[in-house]
Amino acid sequence: MGLLDGLLPAYYESILITVGIYIILALGLNLITGVTGQLNLGHAAYMCIGAYTSAIMSMHYGMPFIVAILAGGLLAAAFGVVIGYPTLRLTGDYLAICTLGFGEILKSVLYNVPAVGGAMGLAGIPPKTTLTIVFIVMIIVIISMVRVESSRFGRALVAIREDEIAAECNGINATKYKLQMFSLGCFIAGIGGALWAHKIMVLQPRDFGFLKSIEILNMVVLGGLGSIPGTILGATVLTSIPEILRFSSEYRMLLYGALLVAMMIFRPHGLMGGVSFNSIAKRGMRWLKPGDKPDDKPGQKGMGG
Amino acid sequence: MFKTKNLFLLVTFILIAALVAGCGGGQTADKEEGGGAADADVVKIGFLGDLTGDTAVYGQNTLDGMKMAADELNAAGGVLGKQVEIVVADHRYDKAEAANIVQKFINQDKVSAIVGDPTTGVTKATAPISNGAEVVQMSAGATGLGVVEIGPYVFRNTLLDTVGGPATIDYMINELGFTKVALITAVNSDFSVGLSKIFKDAITEMGGEIVIEESLQEGDTDFSGQISNIKNKSPEVIVYSGYYTEGGLLMKEARKQGMADIIMIGGDGLQAPTFWELGGDAVEGSISYCGFSPEQPTEETAKFIADMQAKFNKEADLFNAQGYDALKIICAAMETAGSADPKVFVEALAKTKEYPGVSGVTTFLENQEPVKSPVYLLQVKDQQWTLLKKVPVEM
Repeated sequence: MGLLDGLLPAYYESILITVGIYIILALGLNLITGVTGQLNLGHAAYMCIGAYTSAIMSMHYGMPFIVAILAGGLLAAAFGVVIGYPTLRLTGDYLAICTLGFGEILKSVLYNVPAVGGAMGLAGIPPKTTLTIVFIVMIIVIISMVRVESSRFGRALVAIREDEIAAECNGINATKYKLQMFSLGCFIAGIGGALWAHKIMVLQPRDFGFLKSIEILNMVVLGGLGSIPGTILGATVLTSIPEILRFSSEYRMLLYGALLVAMMIFRPHGLMGGVSFNSIAKRGMRWLKPGDKPDDKPGQKGMGG
Repeated sequence: MFKTKNLFLLVTFILIAALVAGCGGGQTADKEEGGGAADADVVKIGFLGDLTGDTAVYGQNTLDGMKMAADELNAAGGVLGKQVEIVVADHRYDKAEAANIVQKFINQDKVSAIVGDPTTGVTKATAPISNGAEVVQMSAGATGLGVVEIGPYVFRNTLLDTVGGPATIDYMINELGFTKVALITAVNSDFSVGLSKIFKDAITEMGGEIVIEESLQEGDTDFSGQISNIKNKSPEVIVYSGYYTEGGLLMKEARKQGMADIIMIGGDGLQAPTFWELGGDAVEGSISYCGFSPEQPTEETAKFIADMQAKFNKEADLFNAQGYDALKIICAAMETAGSADPKVFVEALAKTKEYPGVSGVTTFLENQEPVKSPVYLLQVKDQQWTLLKKVPVEM
């Protein structure tokens, strides 16, 4: 442990940790919204559950960090099932509305529970999140997402996104797959939240509002819905841009907005829409062996509207 | 398609270039400063605050006050013969970004001290970092609980709720004679929840009685339910611990429901013109406490108010004054200790006694908590906060 810690100046280390956490969070949302096409507007709520659970675990029960992280992820997944079970049976926008509502409910509940500090929040969480831990978790999440993408499960999810009725006609139990997928996405959000809690050291309900969900959704959409490399790029760009643009002080959020608009005009499918690690590898192979026929575009496959 | 692809490549390239340049540039700067940072001919003080987010007004005002203080110090020869430089960074009320900024202040800019953040939440998220790196952080505004407990390098320069709250309740019970109180809390505001607790303790301790407790959410606009519950218990006064928006609306609703003479007593969260812009005549007579008032100024305060008017063309407010004082208190400690190294001057800073600032006289207790005197009790008269009483605080 501690392989990567202290190699970089603390400022860059701090930024990289933030970037890593956002990549984890965005990958969870990418599975739900990108791969399966189920709009989730309450991702920050699941992150919040993971953050609070892990914070309580390590503050009040003195659990090792890994247990706290897993507990945060599991409880977030459990709440994912609670919300997903009734709503994922339906098609349409019901999940979006329910997750949106769930986020608001959770915030209200946290405000009124003195045990987690109400509006004052939880403070004094031990700063256990290091770059090494974030990096390891991030790699695990990326690898599992890539594995999921090319598995039978992942292909079923894409089929559900493209046409749920057609998928069911082919024997895919859409509700079951969607529910599994949703709880996995929430699990990852919970883990991201747990890492977040042990980085920021203070949790307040207002940090996990609707805007935080939208911020994560932004990363997925900017990177390219359904694309894992795209999501990683999106999270990296959107987290580091405010720091890169810091020289422009007050105008940086203006530039940030302008950049987002420009991206969406020139790349409506996101920075890397339809690009997967597989297609990158294939393209790389083709570069090495220029003899192969170059006209099919694997990169554009599997992109919905 | 081909064109878009090219454009995309171009944009990606630019972004990556910017990323590399940003990091690379920073690193060289880091190296340059790394060598002789301590003997540089400027004393750097970081400003941590929100300039573009929800609490931008506090951040901007604190920064204006700090600039004023730095200009004055520099005109008079600086600190320890060096010029004072304020390093500004905006975190748009985001805790993760604030944490990054503090790392930048400490490791890139090599600041001697950090002033900020005006809010308790962000201060709690950042102060452990500066305390761990042994850099002084002084919040000009964080009134909540659990701030200075973080460590010996964490200070705050603000009138504490635990001082202002009881002083206000004392005036309410012993001079106005109101004992039957309706207490209202905004449950989604940490400031309000903390202050309500202080109000409650003070009311019970001084022999008052809370006849009803109501809660609301910041952002709500309809308080008819709360007010009709309150009306049924016929209290003599409404104590509200939250901010001006809901305060104004609450009083308007109270008048609408026929509570003709009742007034509101609250904390410094009520201090904004929005209070009477929303409340109108209903908020006339309402009382709140504050750590600063431009009325009946001392000599220093009068000069400060005039200077602020000349430089920024506006009337000085609490955050201006707190930012101004925070910077000057830190610089005074540097002068006393004869060093801009936080490990050295932190001791002098902790021993600051009866510093005559523009936001009152400041003393740091053994546990770094500030005591500021006096507490200003203000009352709304003709749609303006006017000074009601200066309550001196024992040091």
